[in-house]
Order: sequence, then C-alpha cells, then structure tokens
Amino acid sequence: MAKIIVVTSGKGGVGKTTSAAAVATGLALRGQKTVVMDFDVGLRNLDLVMGCERRVVYDLVNVIQGEAGLSQALIRDKRVDNLHIMPASQTRDKDALTMEGVGEVLDELNKQFDYIICDSPAGIERGAQLAMYYADEAIVVTNPEVSSVRDSDRILGLLSAKTRRAEQGEDPIKEHLLITRYNPNRVDQGDMLNLEDIREILSIDLIGLIPESEAVLRSSNQGVPVTHDDDSDAGQAYADAVSRLLGEDVPLRFHEYQKKSLLSRMFGGGRR
Amino acid sequence: MSLRVERDNMAFTFKGGMLPMTVMELASADPEHIREQLADKLSQSPAFFHHTPVVLSVEHLDEPHLALERICAVCRDHKLLPVAVRGGSDPVKQSAWALGLGWFPPQESERPRALESVSSDEAVPPVEPETPLKAEDMSGGRIFRGTVRSGQQVTSPEGDLVVVGAVNAGAEVLAGGSVHVYGPLRGRALAGIHGNHQAGIFCRELRAELLSVAGNYKRLEDIDPRLLDSAVQVRLTEEQLSIMSLD
Repeated sequence: MAKIIVVTSGKGGVGKTTSAAAVATGLALRGQKTVVMDFDVGLRNLDLVMGCERRVVYDLVNVIQGEAGLSQALIRDKRVDNLHIMPASQTRDKDALTMEGVGEVLDELNKQFDYIICDSPAGIERGAQLAMYYADEAIVVTNPEVSSVRDSDRILGLLSAKTRRAEQGEDPIKEHLLITRYNPNRVDQGDMLNLEDIREILSIDLIGLIPESEAVLRSSNQGVPVTHDDDSDAGQAYADAVSRLLGEDVPLRFHEYQKKSLLSRMFGGGRR
Repeated sequence: MSLRVERDNMAFTFKGGMLPMTVMELASADPEHIREQLADKLSQSPAFFHHTPVVLSVEHLDEPHLALERICAVCRDHKLLPVAVRGGSDPVKQSAWALGLGWFPPQESERPRALESVSSDEAVPPVEPETPLKAEDMSGGRIFRGTVRSGQQVTSPEGDLVVVGAVNAGAEVLAGGSVHVYGPLRGRALAGIHGNHQAGIFCRELRAELLSVAGNYKRLEDIDPRLLDSAVQVRLTEEQLSIMSLD
C-alpha cells in the first residue's frame, strides 16, 4: 500500500514543484519506491525540474483516456533507481482529468510504489482539488509572507472538507507545513514573517524549513532536484524534511541568521 | 464526488439560504378588509411597501377555501409581492401552487422543504419562514473545536457559538446569539445576526477583520489599536459597538 502525499499551497510560485521533486528524490534516495505525478495539466513543469523533459512520450491524460498504458507513461529517473515520474500533458486542457480516471491510475500505482507524490497546480479550483482528493498526507508549501500564509490556510480548510478521507469520514489527512524561501536575515529585519508566527496561524506540524538559496534556482534550471546537492543548505534542509516524513526526529536547521565569517566573506566560500 | 461537474459549464448551483422575510399573518380572509388595513398602513410607512416580498401565513385562519387570488391581487396593488403561502388546508396549497406561489407547512410541523417553493412559471426566491428566536434561548448553541480557516464559515443560527481555537483571517463566524472565541480572533465575527441586541462577542486575542452585533459593525481599522491582541468583549450600547478589555 503506497502513501499518497499531495504537495499543495493555494498560491502559485511558492515552490510546490521544486519541493515535490526534492521530496520525491529524497524518498527514493532513502530506498523508497517513489513516483512523482504532475497534476498541472497544460502548464507542466515537473519534467523540467526533474530533467526528463526530453523523454516524455505519453502523459497522465493519455493514461486516463486509455491511449497509453501506465508503464508507457512512467519515466524512470536517470539518477535514482527507485524514482519514477508521471508527466502532465502540455497540450490538453485541465478538463481532460477526471475523478474516476485519477482514482484508477492511483489504484494501479498503489500496487507498485511506496510513495506517490502528487504535485498540485496552484489555485483552489478543480485541478488542485483533484490532486488532493485521494491523498493520505499533505505537504503545504508556504512562503514567509502574509498572502502565502492566508492561501495555505484556505487550502488546509479544503483538505479537511473536499477530500476522500473527509467525505468518507475516515481519519483526516495528515497535514505537514513546509516553509520555503526562508531568509533568517530578512526575518530579523522584519521583512518576512517569522517561523513562529506562521506556525501559530496555520497550527500544523512543521516538516521542514528550506532557506532561501541560490542552489534552488540553479538546480531547477539544470533539471537536477536540489536534494542531490548535498553541499547546499537547501539540499540538506530537504533531506531533513524527508527524514521527518519517514518518522525520524531531526533538529531544525537554517532558521537562525548566522553571520558569515571574515574569511568566507573574503573568499566567497562557505554555504553555497 | 461533487467534482465531476465542471464549474464553468454549470448554469446554476443550489444553495441554502436564510433570507430575512416578512410574514403577513392573516387574521381575516376577507380581501376587502385586508385592502382597507393595507391602505391605512401604506399611508403610514410608504417606504416599507416597495415590492417587498411577503409570505402569507394562513395558519390562524380556519377557512378551507380562500380567495387567495384576490388577496394576492390586493397585496400587489399595495406593492407587496406575495412569494409563498404558509399553512392552510390542501385546497389552499393547491391554489397557491396554481398561482405560482410556494407553499410551506405550518410552523409547528417539520422543517419546510425549500424546494417546494420553486414554482414553474414565475421566478420565486426560496423562502424559509422565520423561526421564533428568543434572546434567552441558547438551546440551539454550538461548540466548534479547532481552527476556523480562511474561506470557512461556522454558523450557529439559533444560539451562541463557541470556538475553541483560532478564527483565522478570511474566516467568518456567525451566531444568532453571542460569539465566544477561546483563541485569536483574526477573521470576521457576527453576533446577533437576527437582530438580538443583547448578544456580544468575546475573544482571547482581538485581531478581527470585522466585528458586528445585530448589524452594527466595526472594521479592524475602526478598532482602537490599544485593544488589539488583548482579551475583549464587544457589546452594543446605545446603538454603538463598544469594545472593552476583559483583563
């Protein structure tokens, strides 16, 4: 039985796809059979972030409409054995996904994998609701800014009402907070919401805190999930989040501002 | 699976609604008698008679056959718009339907089915009869445990609402009676939504976007900043909303 985890946020551009790719990669590196699915039909990005855009033949919509088999659409990751990618369609529109179709695909994937990561589109419309409907757990990606926190709050409301678990009265979805683009320096200056304020408003468990990092943009443009970049702060922070997802107790890092030493300032070294 | 229907393609959605509605309690079945009294009222308060929708209540009339069509005509002459009939015998129900009006069961019986008020030939808004609300009656109260999140609405139409948790920005809590929030109140809180002036709002940490008691409201901007983030009670004094610290 696989665990279905939706990566969602409400607001766009907060790092859902980056986080879905990084968490899926992290799980696979830890030996879990993982598939990451792009639900953003029409605006697919996940294949770019995973660096497999040139190997897409069939996609989720083809599978749902019976034009391709599941194994034809799944792309095996080049870097990690246990990782597969299910791309979204670039050419179809969002109506091509159906509730039953998604349910059948997830049922099939359930037999083959340990973790199914669903990368949700932005918004609270049908696409986002489809991505979350069958989920067992949710990673709510939030930036330290007021509008992002508000949208995450809205998504948390939907998770507790518009999902299969809610509708069938099962145990509620396990909700995790993942804060991205956190810059302790700017938090100290009052430009960004601080960690405690976000936790208090959303009142769910923190699964990870990803510092604002150059490594994220670089990895996304190179098509290599940042989890592979062990030297970077963001890569380490995602690895920590994955450990917590697997039930380990890992101390929080990167939430306090550290002054750069004179040497690292002179030579531009230190954290990348 | 409510998601099957694509939202963009829907012509309409059905929604439950509680609309304020004037009930015209008939004590006489004589259209001429009604006409006289209506004319009298019209001269007193012309502003009220402005195509106001009314529900004709015939519960207290003991007449199996009613000149419903003539009564409706009298009402329309005086700029009242009958939209439904409440109570009465079966023939009354039939003639209400024939006139394109909705029919509600008498108030003592079960909760009315709103769908029955949808008529075939005339657009009639769904109407629910007023439920009697006493300020002292808190039996219809409700306790909500957890966070009320942005976009969510928690209502206790017939009594107090107690929220054990936070009401976040963008959320709305409403009560016929008072609203009590044992946590930060960051969203909108409306107490006394049926006009109960005795109702109040109580919270542990005030950050509300909007506070309203019986329709008198204050926005976050109008609230004295010194009271923000503290425990307060909000009540209506002389048609003015006053916010007082509880500490």
